[in-house]
Amino acid sequence: MSPIISRSRHTRRAALLAATLAVGVGLSACASTGATTSGGTAADGSKVLRIAYQKFPSGDLVVKNQKLLEKALPGWTIEWKAFDSGASINTAFIAKAVDIGAIGSSPVARGLSAPLNIPYSVVYVLDVAGENEALVARKDSGVTTLEGLKGKRIATPFASTSHYSLLAALDHVGLKESDVTLVDLQPQDILAAWQRGDIDATYVWLPVLDKLRESGTQLVSSAEVAEWGKPTLDLGVVSNDLIAKHPEVVEAWRKAEAAGTATILNDPTAAAAAVAAELETTPEDAASQLKQGVFLTPEELTSATWLGSDGAPGGVAASLHDAAGFLAQQKKVPTAPAADVFTKAVYTKGLPGALGQ
Amino acid sequence: MSTTSPARPVAAAEAAVTGLGDRQHDDPAAPGGGRGRRGLLRSPLLRRVTIRVASAGVVVLVWWAVSAWGTPDPTLRPSPALVWRTLVDLSTLQDGGYNGLTWWQHLQISLGRVALGTAIGVAAGLVLGLAMGVITPLRIGLEPLLTFVRNLPPLAYFSLVVIWFGIDETPKIILLAIAALPPVAVVTAGAVLGAPVALVEAGRSIGLGRLAVVRRVVIPSALPEVLTGIRLSVAIAYSSVVAAETINGLPGIGGMVRDAQAYNNTAVVIVGILAIGTSGLVIDSLITTVAARVTPWRGHT
Repeated sequence: MSPIISRSRHTRRAALLAATLAVGVGLSACASTGATTSGGTAADGSKVLRIAYQKFPSGDLVVKNQKLLEKALPGWTIEWKAFDSGASINTAFIAKAVDIGAIGSSPVARGLSAPLNIPYSVVYVLDVAGENEALVARKDSGVTTLEGLKGKRIATPFASTSHYSLLAALDHVGLKESDVTLVDLQPQDILAAWQRGDIDATYVWLPVLDKLRESGTQLVSSAEVAEWGKPTLDLGVVSNDLIAKHPEVVEAWRKAEAAGTATILNDPTAAAAAVAAELETTPEDAASQLKQGVFLTPEELTSATWLGSDGAPGGVAASLHDAAGFLAQQKKVPTAPAADVFTKAVYTKGLPGALGQ
Repeated sequence: MSTTSPARPVAAAEAAVTGLGDRQHDDPAAPGGGRGRRGLLRSPLLRRVTIRVASAGVVVLVWWAVSAWGTPDPTLRPSPALVWRTLVDLSTLQDGGYNGLTWWQHLQISLGRVALGTAIGVAAGLVLGLAMGVITPLRIGLEPLLTFVRNLPPLAYFSLVVIWFGIDETPKIILLAIAALPPVAVVTAGAVLGAPVALVEAGRSIGLGRLAVVRRVVIPSALPEVLTGIRLSVAIAYSSVVAAETINGLPGIGGMVRDAQAYNNTAVVIVGILAIGTSGLVIDSLITTVAARVTPWRGHT
């Protein structure tokens, strides 16, 4: 091998190294500047609103299916992005990739705590978990009570509201996390593991939950866990950036959600049809799923129990604070922030009037 | 390391061109020290080590600069110091490690899975490849199937594996075995097929039977390429470990990364990535070393 060839090899290597470094630096620069901020502009010049939604039955799906938001915000391009967990929505908010999200209270409590400190606020309560999330045991496992779960294998999607409710339920009967074997599975995998007999019990939500009930015994639902002082909610959160720049959009979104929830309460057939289309199921199935959640009227929503009204944030703040404390105790977050962090994170401007009923 | 390297001429040539290296390492602050260092850097091994350490240093420096930019953000841009602290924290069980195990124990569990999965996949791949190389119809029949499987991302078929084999160890081992099998089978078949005709003829002419030709001539001549195939298989199986641990992956280093990601615990994610990457590097260089030892005739026919 001649030195000349070798030299060119060398130069090439140096060039390659330089190129790699350049790409690396370029990428990291993109990471900090490339993320579009709220109110970004679409190709046709309209402004873009990025919404993270999840496929659980709620007014949010009615809003999406009936295009209520598109009608309310004609100057905006609405981008609906599907997520399968609150954890990934938190990640999207951290990356400034979404403006509005439908997310469980447990991920929100974590998001508002250190080290995440996500700059978003709670602007709506989509639903209160009732019978739509529950802990069921396989009939073959012989478990019929919460206490009977000791030493059993329980699956739940980690970092979800179900995970939170499961820990709360175990705690209620004096069982520690180490008394059972917890397995992190997504709902569709829970169904497979259940059918194969790989797990004894699971805390999960609809629609998988309904399929499991056929061959399982329900031990507790989130409605009961709520009575023990550990309620879980599905919340609408909005980035503080959007609230500061476009409060009118937040108001329009809230009105659309209120209309979606009103459809569930007043016109169950239309709501079931819309939700069925989004969940790709039958209207009958969607109707039965909708019946298991608790949906709030505007009066309930703006009462002191839940979101509260302008200047008087309601019970949601205390509930989130309590959830953060529980998560800290379970070592899921380092420490729970002070109560006022959550009070400040509940956005009630213009309520109850702004719901436009 | 350098004694096992088959590429002596390259090292010698590298030593011959010292210009670039010297310019990189000249320290303007200490002009007097240049000569002594120049002498040291003449040693090819030392040069290699220096360049590698320097390149790692540059990466850490860029990382540090990015993390120190503006307000610190442990979620988006955890600093090298934070990752180091996390690594130290997870190295003992004082604070409970991660889910009750140290990062090292998580890695060990994953390495065990990779070892078992790869062993099964490589063994099956060798047998299959040998058979395909010798029996033509088998090769024609199986080649497209192997290429089909080889091009599938493991995550694509993992859901099926889970439905069929559950959520415990079996599906993970099967996934790793499926990932490891095709490369070694394809390479082995090709190497067996490519055994020099002259050598095979020579074997036949001295009265060796078909099996004896395979054993005495074909296998030794194919061995170097087969070892390359094994190296490829191990690399592919290793890079599939995170996929294999997407479902019920805890304990395991891939499961740890995924779980930490669910809690946006970026420092732990990086510790896991460093552990996976570094151990992959060590395993790869081990295989290269072993391959050089076992087939010293490589490159000669």
